[in-house]
Amino acid sequence: MKIERDTKVSDAIPTSTMADIAFLLIIYFMVTTTFTATRGLDFGLPKDDDTPREIEREDSVHIHVQPVGLVVDGKPMQLEDVLDYLKPRLERNPMKPVIVQTDPQAPYGNMVSVLDELRQGEEKIGIEIKNISIPTRREIESFWY
Amino acid sequence: MKFKASQNFAPVIPTASMADIAFLLIIFFMVTITFEVDKTQVLLPRTAIRFEIPKQAAYVSVTESGLIKVSSGEEISTPVPGVEDVLSFATQTVATDPSKPFVLKADRTVPYDIIDKVIDALKQAKVEVIYLLSEQTLQS
Repeated sequence: MKIERDTKVSDAIPTSTMADIAFLLIIYFMVTTTFTATRGLDFGLPKDDDTPREIEREDSVHIHVQPVGLVVDGKPMQLEDVLDYLKPRLERNPMKPVIVQTDPQAPYGNMVSVLDELRQGEEKIGIEIKNISIPTRREIESFWY
Repeated sequence: MKFKASQNFAPVIPTASMADIAFLLIIFFMVTITFEVDKTQVLLPRTAIRFEIPKQAAYVSVTESGLIKVSSGEEISTPVPGVEDVLSFATQTVATDPSKPFVLKADRTVPYDIIDKVIDALKQAKVEVIYLLSEQTLQS
């Protein structure tokens, strides 16, 4: 008996699994994609060639960030009142230094909130605070003590 | 004259374009994906003012437990034993690129003592700009 050979070979490229592979890749990308925070508050540091200026404590506004609350020029103050306190002083001297000193035990977030509030000066009181300084403990000890 | 209705419709869902759509989505993901150099999970502080951080910025991250990780922006961040190592890392990075921006990615609850030492190390290394990574303040 003669066995008939099957000659009906398909000439099409099998693409039925292509969608499966593609969706597998999509799922991989969707799972591994993370939404990252790519924005933040900037502050410039003094350049190497900047000559350090002697600033007396009396010439500046001194904000001390406590673990709870703030002390501005020796007076306890709410964060939302800081700009109102600064406004008349900055109107007299727009370059008045604002020094932010943070207690070592205070949460980092408190310092950032104060810095954020100061940077909103132009928006909230119409005066841009140009001279914000965040000295480190080493700088405070070496310059003031 | 009576027309004969065709009865030869095969009950199939047309899937020929599915692969096209899928590959279009793949291309979209591949183009938009950004590889994070620092995957440290921290609770970022919230700020109203936020600026776009330049790409390829160096990272210093501080977790809630005080663990410090660094990355020059080109490789995955690696933990360092202490704050002193941040100074040597920053000095090396600034020596390669003096205008390299640094990103401080720190947990909002971490005591400022650690942050103070990190900022001091960056200042000593002559870093020009530091970005404090933050989340947008919730609108009240």
